[in-house]
Amino acid sequence: MAKRLLIIDDDPDFVSGIKAILDTAGFEVDVAYDPKEGLQALQRQPYDLLLLDIMMGRGAEGVMIARKLRKDAKLREMPVLIITGMREQIAFLFPGEPIHPHFVEVDELVEKPVEPNLLLEKVNSLIQAAEERKAGVS
Amino acid sequence: MTEASETYTFTFMREVSGLLHAADGNPFPMCVQCGTCSGSCPVAAYMDYTPRQIIAMVNAGLKDQVMESNTFWYCASCYQCTVRCPQGISITELMYALQRYSIWKNKYKEGLIGPSFSEAFAKMIVRTGRTFEPILAPSYIFSFKLGEFFREIQNATELMIKGRLPLLPAQIKRLDNFKRMVRRIIPMGGVE
Amino acid sequence: MKEFAYFPGCSLEKLAIGYHVSALETAKKLGMKLHEIEDWNCCGSTTYFHIDELLAYTLSARNLAIAEKTGLDLVAPCSACYKNMYFTVAHMKKDPDLAEHINYALEEDGLHFSGQINVRHLIEVYMEDIGTEEIKNNVTHPLEGVRVAPYYGCQILRPKKDHMDIEHPLFFEELLTAIGATPVDYPLKTRCCGGSLIISSRPAALTMVKNLLQSAVDRQASVIATACPMCQVNLECYQQSVNQEFGTNYSIPVLYFTQLVGLALGIAPKKLGIGKELVSALPVLATS
Repeated sequence: MAKRLLIIDDDPDFVSGIKAILDTAGFEVDVAYDPKEGLQALQRQPYDLLLLDIMMGRGAEGVMIARKLRKDAKLREMPVLIITGMREQIAFLFPGEPIHPHFVEVDELVEKPVEPNLLLEKVNSLIQAAEERKAGVS
Repeated sequence: MTEASETYTFTFMREVSGLLHAADGNPFPMCVQCGTCSGSCPVAAYMDYTPRQIIAMVNAGLKDQVMESNTFWYCASCYQCTVRCPQGISITELMYALQRYSIWKNKYKEGLIGPSFSEAFAKMIVRTGRTFEPILAPSYIFSFKLGEFFREIQNATELMIKGRLPLLPAQIKRLDNFKRMVRRIIPMGGVE
Repeated sequence: MKEFAYFPGCSLEKLAIGYHVSALETAKKLGMKLHEIEDWNCCGSTTYFHIDELLAYTLSARNLAIAEKTGLDLVAPCSACYKNMYFTVAHMKKDPDLAEHINYALEEDGLHFSGQINVRHLIEVYMEDIGTEEIKNNVTHPLEGVRVAPYYGCQILRPKKDHMDIEHPLFFEELLTAIGATPVDYPLKTRCCGGSLIISSRPAALTMVKNLLQSAVDRQASVIATACPMCQVNLECYQQSVNQEFGTNYSIPVLYFTQLVGLALGIAPKKLGIGKELVSALPVLATS
């Protein structure tokens, strides 16, 4: 059965690009274009992986979502791939600084733009690792 | 997702709406173009497009024209439009949202002082926890006309004489805690 | 004795020092104690909303959490600080996710904000907690014959808080009447002064200042009273720029309401920070 992914990202151009890549690779992809819609989608049905943007809505709301998921018993196990352009987006405020690598317990963080092969590699390995974790537990 | 949103065509309006908190006011398409906002706006005469026009343009998806305008950078945050809008649209919040959109994309009309002023102001607070007025003006007065320039210098001197300008920047005591607090909201910077 | 937690805000440290000292002096005289909260930070003014609203709320929340520890209502003399803090409380109460997230950040400074605080503007406290009767009873030097334009500005009134008449407020006039002054009918009293545009959109801001000054002159006001440091600086310090730009000749002092109240209570002008204006208020006050 095809794996279901959710993208929460406010940039329609970026989304259409990675969605095309993921569609072609055989994933079933849903999209939420703002944080509120994204949280609703996560409540509606389970996903095998979340691709999450950071700067959207009122500010760095991606951080808020990632933290919320990690406290939710149902959603805690879902792997999250953060894909962000925040270093560029607020470069003026923190010039030359890297993104904090462990600001929240997520599985991976990559910066935009993402190379297609790297994207698929990360997505596949995160889903696989999550399945192995699950199998190990039960 | 649901069927309705699968067929949903993405528009600039939707993108801008996503920048606001859902609880803040009614959706922009509820605008009836009555013009109460533009009539109430004390800065409308200086804007490329009035607030009413901007809402119509956002709804029509005229992204480039909206982003190329000075309108949202000329908003004085006086909220007169917002409190009078008969449709309950948060117009001031819309202006903030457009400012965020343009700052994040690093894309705005050339020659505007607003964006760099905002950035300098924010930078100062993130570094000291406080505002220091003398830093603010001098970096921008160079873009003023000559007369304005001297006026500004003279003003600053008079204020200095009256003891109304700080000589040294203030900073809060628990600055390290403060900076770590900021990093929990915007996770930039290596691990301390 | 009425006690409040007090958040002066950055401007009151220097640029609006007259507001600060006159607030403290008059409060004392009126049996009210303002406790400045410890290690407060800048409220972010309006510029943070251009970048990250969550950060804007966090900056205010830190001050709110510090103030909350006192168990007192929090008073702000600056309209922008007041508006920011007032709505941070409202947003955090309404949105538990937001409150949780901000409190997670506040942990870094050992703080927590539970939402149990009322944010008040200084002039609101004068009107509601002290009241015009009490103020009147303490007046020893009524400002008879002084025609004052009551300038409300924007953010005391807007966005709408729970309780105020935002189109036709009268509390400022009532306060001025209580100290024996004559409030003039000032049609632009709630019109924006353009304070946030003075650097970024100067021509617009100077026109806005000019309109307010002209309206005050038209009504034969001899002084403009404000309740916000941004408005005061904008209306006073840019009068010369306006004169230069428009060939006008305005020279009208702009005082804080606390300075006028202080004078009526018989406090020495110097103790109220009077004398630090660029447009001197002394000639006008000598006539009262």
